[in-house]
Amino acid sequence: MADSRSPLVRFGRIGRRKFIKYGSLAVGAGVLSACTRGGGETTTSSATGTGSASSGDAIKVGVMYSTTGTIAIVEKSLQDATFLAIEQINQGTGPWQGKQGVAGKQIEMVVVNPDSNWDLYNQMSKRLIDEDQVSCVLGCYTSASRKSVLPVFEEKDAILYYPVYYEGNECSSNVFYTGAAPNQQITDSIPYCYENFGPKGFFIGSDYIYPKESNRIAKAELENQGGQVVGDEYAALGTTEFITIINKIKQAKPDFVLSNLVGDSIPAFYRQFKDAGITPDQIPIMAYPTTEEEIQAMGPEYAEGHYSSFNYFQTVDTPENKAFVEQFKAKFGDNRVTNGVMEAAYLQTFFMAQAMEQVLEAGEEITTATLREATRGQEFNAPQGKVKIDPDNYHTYLYSRIGRWQADGQAEIVFATPSAVKPIPWSQALYKGRLCVHPAPDDRSDPTEETGNDLPVEYLES
Amino acid sequence: MLGFNSIQAHIFYLAQEATAATDATGGADFYTFANQLLNGVGIVGVLLLTGLGLAITFGVMRIINLAHGEFIMLGAYVTFLMQSLFQMDLLLTIPFAFLGTALIGALTELTVIRRLYGRPLETLLATWGLSIVIQGVVKLIFSAQLKYVKSPPYISGNLSVITGQDGTPLVSISYYRMFIIAVALLMLGITLYLLYQTPLGRQVRAVAQNREMAKCLGVNTSLIDLLTFAYGCGLAGIAGAVISSLKSVSPPMGQDYLVDAWMVVVTGGVDKLIGVLAGSFLIGEANAAIAFMLNDPVARVIVLAAVIVLIRYRPEGLFTVQKRA
Repeated sequence: MADSRSPLVRFGRIGRRKFIKYGSLAVGAGVLSACTRGGGETTTSSATGTGSASSGDAIKVGVMYSTTGTIAIVEKSLQDATFLAIEQINQGTGPWQGKQGVAGKQIEMVVVNPDSNWDLYNQMSKRLIDEDQVSCVLGCYTSASRKSVLPVFEEKDAILYYPVYYEGNECSSNVFYTGAAPNQQITDSIPYCYENFGPKGFFIGSDYIYPKESNRIAKAELENQGGQVVGDEYAALGTTEFITIINKIKQAKPDFVLSNLVGDSIPAFYRQFKDAGITPDQIPIMAYPTTEEEIQAMGPEYAEGHYSSFNYFQTVDTPENKAFVEQFKAKFGDNRVTNGVMEAAYLQTFFMAQAMEQVLEAGEEITTATLREATRGQEFNAPQGKVKIDPDNYHTYLYSRIGRWQADGQAEIVFATPSAVKPIPWSQALYKGRLCVHPAPDDRSDPTEETGNDLPVEYLES
Repeated sequence: MLGFNSIQAHIFYLAQEATAATDATGGADFYTFANQLLNGVGIVGVLLLTGLGLAITFGVMRIINLAHGEFIMLGAYVTFLMQSLFQMDLLLTIPFAFLGTALIGALTELTVIRRLYGRPLETLLATWGLSIVIQGVVKLIFSAQLKYVKSPPYISGNLSVITGQDGTPLVSISYYRMFIIAVALLMLGITLYLLYQTPLGRQVRAVAQNREMAKCLGVNTSLIDLLTFAYGCGLAGIAGAVISSLKSVSPPMGQDYLVDAWMVVVTGGVDKLIGVLAGSFLIGEANAAIAFMLNDPVARVIVLAAVIVLIRYRPEGLFTVQKRA
């Protein structure tokens, strides 16, 4: 009797032919699905916009963002912003009004999808540089992916434009960093928390390099102010259960929470924070990676009264921003919002195009060396205001702003610097006086300089 | 040996880090720990709800369904769809989530699972492939963006179990967590009733125990298989609908629940449905207690390791009646 239950008997009854038929069906399903997922092989090459790029004359640019996997939620929107910028450059609309293409040449994108897999970023950047022979690459979001591709770009001497606020402590001749350095985000927000909320901070974050480094810098800044970190907790990437961390926050009774959670952990945390009965009046959350996009996903009622520190908010009042928001919504739908990382992905594409234009107009070829020298010192009237690539350290002069979330899911800007702040790649709370100055022209030697002094805050002249 | 030592050292290091953090907060007192244990019940509710569907598809039907997480995700998306199209209340969307996912489950059974009965390895591969396909399709239709699901406004706030002298709640649990537990227990009750008190349930159990004999006695086994699998998927859909407003709704969300659901079912044992309750209670509370003393990532490692050890020595799970061979 027992035998009739055994699968082997049924297996035996199915003939060899049937076995092959069904077996291959199962394997086929697996293969098909692996392809759907992106699995490392989805490289699509496309010329956008007019689509009329004559192939020999186009400038090839790599676009490397994950559109599948856990980080896709964010990177897809960076890709959207990049697509918008390149369409505007090719068609001569938006900030590129009156021109068409880069000195008459169209930009041709080579789009790859690294599937939120750090190793694939590395492989795909090699492929973009060696096989597709792109002039430069726009891409990456997490620090883990940047660290994964950095050796490739340095070894092959190619250029990456990286649009994300990050933990700093890096200064490469092959990367232009167009997101915030620590001094453009952490250095202003921690004193703000100390003065407005109190001295005790509870730090949380996702369990990988950026949140940990960022919290380490923030801790040093808070202790410099005379404050104290009363708790330090990390959750695995993608965690959506925060009941324990919230209970520890309740127990520690901090004056504020500093959140460096990323991705789908963000909505879950804010929802459960409110669900646990903690109001922003009691313990406000100051966050770096929480943007308009996540607020929309969690529902504004959960974020109302909490804070984020960013270079850009959708509510920034400039004519450039008004146009940017309008054009973005026209292309991707009225229910979409813009945020700080998208704005950085957008503005860096224009830095790249301006630099390319400068190279071509000087009658030179676009190579890594010419593009690098031309990108240094580029200025652009971005949605957040006038920004500039620092010619010394390849980071970007950016505004520093703090926004308080409102009932409509948009931020009321409660703090802003008068103009863009000069970037300092090394956290000054941890490495006092350490500077990064690339020689001109760049010979790729070590750019680190130790001054040992306090560095003054410098602003971009508007 | 060296490898083991370094792992041990790593855990020790993590533990050190965590203790330092707790020390800074002035140590754990009784109320906070009690609060944490009560919060653990909140985790138990989610585990029970997400594990129940799997207890049907794996426990009763012995189908290794790696797409279980995706059925949870589909339930959440049905809720999102109903809310954005008809401004429906979350509670009203639950039946739709059940029907929607049950329908997709039935389709899956007809097209894939049915052809692979008795071949666990192929089923495993096929459902794994299916999970990726479902994720891909959802991403194509709804994009990769996180989705907003409105929670029912009348289930908010907290129940204070112990209140301090100044009126501050010392030990409390949110009403929504209690709602999740209530739904989970209700679904468990309904499932038990269906399985053990109705003629249909008797047929399901008969097919699970001896398919050939049941067939001989006139049971339409293929229909029973279809209904049972669809019901298991429907339960996953209910789980997705209910937890969607407490967590995040995105295409990869199901992956997170899949591992937990499997741990629950394997720990509790698959022969008795009540094992799911016991399994989720054990894992939820163990997770809560260890995470409180150390931290979340370490708690997950320890609980997973404990489940592996358990499977090694009791592969049939904790709550299984000893059967004769």
